[in-house]
Amino acid sequence: MRIEDVVCPFCGCLCDDLVVSVEGTKVLSVENGCTLATEKFTGDHRLAHPIRRTGGAWEKTTYDDAIRETAEILLDAERPLLYGWSGTFVEAQTLGVHMAELLGAVIDNTSTVCHGPSIMAIQEVGHPGCTLGQVKNRADVIVYWGANPIEAHPRHMSRYTTFTDGFFVKSAFRERKVIVVDIRETDSSEIADEFVKVTPGGDYAVLTALRMIVRGKGDLVPATVSGVTREQLFRVAEICLSARFGAIFFGLGLTMSRGKSKNIRNAIELTEELNRHTKFTISPMRGHWNVYGSNEVFTWITGYPYAVDFSRGIAFYNPGETTSVDLLRRKECDACLVVASDPGAHFPRACAEHLASIPTVQIDPHVNATTHLSRIQIPVAVTGIDAEGTAYRMDGVPIRTRKLFSTGYPDDVAVLGRVYSLVKEAKG
Amino acid sequence: MRVILKTRPRKKPHVPIEAEGIIPQNFLRKNDLTVYEGNRERNLEDLFFVTVEGPAVSPDQVEIILTGDTGRIKRVGEYMNAGRIIIEGDIGMHCGNFMSAGEIIIRGNADAWLGREMRGGRILCEGTAGDYCGAGYRGEKRGMRGGTIEVMGNAGDFVAEYLSGGEVIIHGNCGDLPGVEMRGGTLVIGGNCSRPCGNMTGGTCMVIGDPGELLPSFRRNGSTEVEFGGKKFRMAVFRGDVANRGKGTLLVKEEAIISRSGRDERL
Ligand code: SF4
Repeated sequence: MRIEDVVCPFCGCLCDDLVVSVEGTKVLSVENGCTLATEKFTGDHRLAHPIRRTGGAWEKTTYDDAIRETAEILLDAERPLLYGWSGTFVEAQTLGVHMAELLGAVIDNTSTVCHGPSIMAIQEVGHPGCTLGQVKNRADVIVYWGANPIEAHPRHMSRYTTFTDGFFVKSAFRERKVIVVDIRETDSSEIADEFVKVTPGGDYAVLTALRMIVRGKGDLVPATVSGVTREQLFRVAEICLSARFGAIFFGLGLTMSRGKSKNIRNAIELTEELNRHTKFTISPMRGHWNVYGSNEVFTWITGYPYAVDFSRGIAFYNPGETTSVDLLRRKECDACLVVASDPGAHFPRACAEHLASIPTVQIDPHVNATTHLSRIQIPVAVTGIDAEGTAYRMDGVPIRTRKLFSTGYPDDVAVLGRVYSLVKEAKG
Repeated sequence: MRVILKTRPRKKPHVPIEAEGIIPQNFLRKNDLTVYEGNRERNLEDLFFVTVEGPAVSPDQVEIILTGDTGRIKRVGEYMNAGRIIIEGDIGMHCGNFMSAGEIIIRGNADAWLGREMRGGRILCEGTAGDYCGAGYRGEKRGMRGGTIEVMGNAGDFVAEYLSGGEVIIHGNCGDLPGVEMRGGTLVIGGNCSRPCGNMTGGTCMVIGDPGELLPSFRRNGSTEVEFGGKKFRMAVFRGDVANRGKGTLLVKEEAIISRSGRDERL
């Protein structure tokens, strides 16, 4: 069977034009998707049933027992953490937030290790953003800053920027200019009209210098700023100023390097400065599939996009204090529920070690690095393959994903819903 | 009156305690103070051995002494307006949040957000301080507004972010971007740091050690002489941050060695 308009469940681009051929519960081929998508659909090593660690070995257990024990662990904890959420759909994320409130837990999503600093900067100075459709149809200058879309978001350029024509950009090849800013050459920098190579940790100063030039204070800019020559800085500023519509996309190279949220703030303030002369927008390249959705859900329920601490009964948010990496590094948590992400692979070693030393439960379809740190793992259906639900694209557009076929697995809502009921019963 | 709070041993010593109730004015009358251990509300006596010596008729006669394993206790001295708190060891985050008067003395190290949005009074930290010392809450447009924070050791990143008034003195080194978004008040750094005063719009910052590197957006504006720790220094005066139409003042030693970006032509 050929299924059209399938939404890819892998990265934040949420490409919705895939064509997938299936036979029963097997994916035969994926058209239109990038290699990451094909791998996601076909390379599927699912855990067959819930497992539980006793002594040093895994044993098979039932959904009933695993769910009951999960609820008990969470109810027992004084500082439980509910982490992950970026690989599942918003209906499951909603349940997670309500459960965190009942438990007095901290709930956090993967922004904590990717675009958390971007959100902090947006909270300080706002977000002049737009949807990807606007970029596709209007932008004649594209800036990728600290991002390598060819590897991390393979179809970003072909669907929205460099390689696609738009309504007002009749020939992308001739009309779109691409600027790539990074600390090293990448596949993406190779196709750039202007590649700006910054010394590591030097982005903040380069952004400051560009702001100065756009503001007419270029006379103060020294001969080089963080490895970038004065001439190139003026050239880049000129390209931006002569744009009809410019779009800046930034990645982890900017959010996770020295200065963190202040880098993003500086980039947003450059965008604002450019908007005095022409139209410019700025957007984060969100990586994990529905991480944007988790920010939306957390915000519409609690007022805060990630790292929400309910231990006092009301929502409190303070990255650096209530973020998972900080909580785990300080060994604060005494239980953890991981949903739809893999902190075992992405967190610093000390954090992973702490996860292994406390009762950690993972709800995830696959065996991954976090499995090795967990006491219990409950397999679920994969959203976008054998479960459907709503997810948000990196530009904040919600998209309903499709279910290609049914397997016997319950989805995240089914499992979390049962844990939630047990918690609710105990809390009265 | 002297109140001695000694921590009791805990089963889970890493779970943080939130104790905004520990301020002098709360001990004038006997009342049932509670604190939070993680998500559980506890009586003060559950977590501390409490000893009270002598009388007091006003909060400025109350001295609180915290001893034991105090490094995980947060928000001590929040909204304090008189009296004194002495912490014999380390203290957790948000010590002295919003305090308006009185004195806090920390014999050990302080965690992040020491004196967050402080309005007045004095904090002395004999050890080191964490990130965001004297800063504001996330998205808050003003950090510390008045009073004094003095740290004898080093401090972390983003010290005195959004500083709007009062004085922050760090005798040791600071991390990255001290005085970032600063708009008033005084920041003194006895040791080294990097990228001081990014995006500042007002106030004065003085770096006695190596400023690591100076942002391009500071305009040289003469020289001056200052005194710090009984010694006199010739300082180069900068105005900025011009990327932000800033009118702040940054003082850097004229013979400062700029370690990260080499010799700066503006010095
Ligand atoms: S670019 Fe991202 S969303 Fe699109 S097909 Fe590739 S992995 Fe999937």
